[in-house]
Amino acid sequence: MSWVPGRRAFLAASGVGLAGLAGLAGCLGDADGTGGSSETDTATEAADSGSTQSATGRGSAEAASDGGDYSTDTSVLPTRDQPLPVEWSFARLRDETLSGGPPKDGIPSVDEPSFWSVSEADEFLAPGDIVFGVAGESDVKAYPQRVLVWHEITNDAIDGENVSVTYCPLTGTAMGFFRGETEFGVSGRLVNSNLVMYDRETDSRWPQVLATAISGPFEGQSLTEFPLAWTTWGEWKAAHPDTVVLSEETGHVRNYNRDPYGEYNPPRGYYTNKNTLFAPLSADDRYQEKAVVVGARPREGAVAFRKESLREQGLLTGEVGGTTFHAVYDPALDTAHVYRGDGTDLSYADGQVSVGGETVAPDALPLGRVVDFDAMWFAWAGFYPETVVVA
Amino acid sequence: MTGLVDRGRAALSKTLVAVRGAVVRRDARAILVGVSLLYLGLYLYVLGHLRFTGGGGFDSLVVSDPLARMFESRGPLAFEPVAALVVGPLELLVAPVNVAIGAALALLVGVNLAVSFLAWRHPAACGIGSGARGSGLLAGLPALLSGTACCGPVVLIALGIQASGVIVASFGFLVPAAALLLLGSLVYVGRQVDPTVAEPRTG
Repeated sequence: MSWVPGRRAFLAASGVGLAGLAGLAGCLGDADGTGGSSETDTATEAADSGSTQSATGRGSAEAASDGGDYSTDTSVLPTRDQPLPVEWSFARLRDETLSGGPPKDGIPSVDEPSFWSVSEADEFLAPGDIVFGVAGESDVKAYPQRVLVWHEITNDAIDGENVSVTYCPLTGTAMGFFRGETEFGVSGRLVNSNLVMYDRETDSRWPQVLATAISGPFEGQSLTEFPLAWTTWGEWKAAHPDTVVLSEETGHVRNYNRDPYGEYNPPRGYYTNKNTLFAPLSADDRYQEKAVVVGARPREGAVAFRKESLREQGLLTGEVGGTTFHAVYDPALDTAHVYRGDGTDLSYADGQVSVGGETVAPDALPLGRVVDFDAMWFAWAGFYPETVVVA
Repeated sequence: MTGLVDRGRAALSKTLVAVRGAVVRRDARAILVGVSLLYLGLYLYVLGHLRFTGGGGFDSLVVSDPLARMFESRGPLAFEPVAALVVGPLELLVAPVNVAIGAALALLVGVNLAVSFLAWRHPAACGIGSGARGSGLLAGLPALLSGTACCGPVVLIALGIQASGVIVASFGFLVPAAALLLLGSLVYVGRQVDPTVAEPRTG
């Protein structure tokens, strides 16, 4: 079963670090904005980081100096204690940010989502249609790709926590973020073909894949995340018959039966060909542009597991910055889970994982879980040219 | 200079006569109406606002506060649909501003082709009919241009063209450019129509 968590439970399980504020200040003190956040923060990672950083550093200082009525109070928007790795300077990322055509909010987020039951959704979705699933402790929800391709962001709540479920069609990335008391919207701009979100509290700009603000009061800070399962409607409802599904009653009228970019069921158009709308930040021709990788970027750096190899082998292991990471294939949902290794031997057979002699489901390994998400290869390689690749 | 102004005024005057001819003459009017409707349908289809569902019946849906939201921009000269209509096998998302833009372009394309037809059937003088035919076809180019404009980067994706900031920015100018080209070609072909074309015929 895929899980997802109350936020604190999730952060504990995923091993998100609690960095010292000193290390954080070092990052935020990068006054010229040219430093990416792949700095070597030596703060010791704690097991749990349900807490978020206080309003310190550059963001608040900027807000004060320009007289803006901003708040980088993390009760408004929770951020990570230790920013996620970013391999490009923020200045370069800002320079590479282009208009995708629509203006700010020209692609309207869904701010008052409504949901269908399984039987209602069956009228709309075919078993092979893509959905992005999240199974919380009390809320189990699926977000159809066919709806999100028109909106890219849904501001919702799961288990009482405000979240944004986000999807970028051009990079094939579906990601979940905790949004606190604010909302995210679509800025209309793209970097490396990826959706650039903005928060409605400060208008900071957050490329979705990086989950790190590249401009605005939150520059240099990273969002807290939760994983979404990129799966099919048929697989999701079989695993979660109690799920609800984001409906097409979004407050907007759109042709939800038409995908302007192509089709996933069956795959065609932009989702399978070699074309990218914009040139990637850096090109890597090891795989076809739209080949899918399962990417993770723990503090040690970026790692990508080729999804096709995961389907074939079930278990892939790679090393990043001296730490071992395991990607485990979950055939029930055609998805994967990434864990931080602790030296225990793993083996995989018949969709189950043997951990030190004990057999467990792919989503229940007794190891620290790392947020992962599917991405098109060109997008991952563009953002993370130093990525470790496991195939 | 005075000569240029006079020539321009004369061309405009001839064009207005030709347009009137396109309206009053049944055969030209059929072309005008037919082509305009066809182009508007095509424009809305390419925009993704018109589709053939194959179903039946009648249904409608209107968003809350449609009058305010119809002016919300969704892209270069693309605006928010505020209603959905299902009429038999057709489904139309109604974005009033886009319908107005599409209708204006459609009318220009229709008039261009109707006037070209008149210039072919009723040339102002012997020997220029073939030129009029060519200019009629010329109207197709801006029509294509404006069709591309409505969908912006999606067209690039479909064609596999990698975009730059300049290309994306240029989409905002395509519809006005198409409208100007259509007006220009209308004047070009309009002055080649027999000036008596709109007069009642006897015998």
